[in-house]
Amino acid sequence: MQDLIIFLSLLALGYIFGRLAEKRHYRSIFKREKKYRSLPVIASKFPPAYKIPHDTALVMGSVVVSVDYFKRFLATLRNLFGGRVRAYETLVDRARREAILRMQEEAARRGGKMVFNIKLQTAAVSQGRKNTVGSVEVLAYGTALIPPRTER
Amino acid sequence: MEYSNPEIPEGINTSREHPLKELLLLVSAAVGIIFLVVAGLTFLAEYLAGYIPFSSEQKLAALYPVESRYESAQQRQAGERITTYLQQLAEQLARAEELPNEMRITLHYIDDDTVNAFATLGGHVVFFRGLLEKIPDENTLAMVMAHEIAHIKFRHPIRSLGRGVIVASALAVVSAAAGDNLSASVLQEAGLLTILHYNRRQESEADEVAIAALQTHYGHVAGATGLFRIFLKEEKEAQQLPAFLSTHPLSEERIRRLQQMASQHRWNTADPRPLPAEFGNWLQAGRASL
Repeated sequence: MQDLIIFLSLLALGYIFGRLAEKRHYRSIFKREKKYRSLPVIASKFPPAYKIPHDTALVMGSVVVSVDYFKRFLATLRNLFGGRVRAYETLVDRARREAILRMQEEAARRGGKMVFNIKLQTAAVSQGRKNTVGSVEVLAYGTALIPPRTER
Repeated sequence: MEYSNPEIPEGINTSREHPLKELLLLVSAAVGIIFLVVAGLTFLAEYLAGYIPFSSEQKLAALYPVESRYESAQQRQAGERITTYLQQLAEQLARAEELPNEMRITLHYIDDDTVNAFATLGGHVVFFRGLLEKIPDENTLAMVMAHEIAHIKFRHPIRSLGRGVIVASALAVVSAAAGDNLSASVLQEAGLLTILHYNRRQESEADEVAIAALQTHYGHVAGATGLFRIFLKEEKEAQQLPAFLSTHPLSEERIRRLQQMASQHRWNTADPRPLPAEFGNWLQAGRASL
């Protein structure tokens, strides 16, 4: 009985705080994506051809998000039946967008006007009990194209 | 070439579905599957347990002997007399029920106020003083005893144990602590004195055999509903129900079924046989020394 109570409270805690954090995070993501829409991020390996030479710099953004108890339980149940693991989809989506945003923020700070050759990498940071993934890291990096000072 | 970041609509990589809805769906599916599996296993365990040789059941039961504790020599003597009397009656009824030879019934008398009697593993039948004190005549006692012997005849104790083990193991998967508690109580601690629960079908099966045994043994069915009537009357007066009723759910329907059976077979009632003259004194001996 006791372990059942502990389990249910963990589930409730995971749900309440996980949901709050997710909502808040998405609000911030929408706001910042709007702000940085003017700073294009492209996957092309080569920068567009400009007549004036531009500076380049490596910019990156990294984020680590943790799976909450509720999401993990939902994903475990999904393991039984198969199908979209919706609980993790939002988590990974948030991490990816946040990493790109952080990279864009760095590029903006350096005076960049776009980032090309963007790459994304993920890693499971902590392996929890019984090898369940505890948190996931998403790293976004690319080459920022910075116009010469006189041009800015 | 001009580059821009278009606004990508939401809901491509993620879903708007409420997570609680998904949880509810998945949990109910999982619970449903677990329930089906447990129900299937329970049915199998109950069915297969009937094929366990009676001698193995006796060996299992021997691990947990029933102890009748007596405080004085006088009490012990009285207790042994009651046990002997009950044992004789049991053997007569076992013959009436045509129990296979290897199924030996062992009677136990426990000097305790508990109003109950039950059959358990290995052919052991336990009677408490509390119940015997309520019994007016031998036929009423014979009905209770024939009922308990019928449980043994149909292997209800071992079937019920098999069912209990499955349910306990299933619970252990869901909640370790709850499962451990239950399997401990099913398998170890309580042992023989575990009052195994029989289901409604098993109870009525035992009732039918018991009333037939009364007819075979006495030539009439007096006392078949005697104890139930006593309890029915008491139920209205007393606040606390006797333990007997929690293990043998009482209902008007049960009495009606027995009466129906008797009239179907044209079984009559006659004057019940009295209990041995000394019976009351034997019971008193235990009670007095408390």
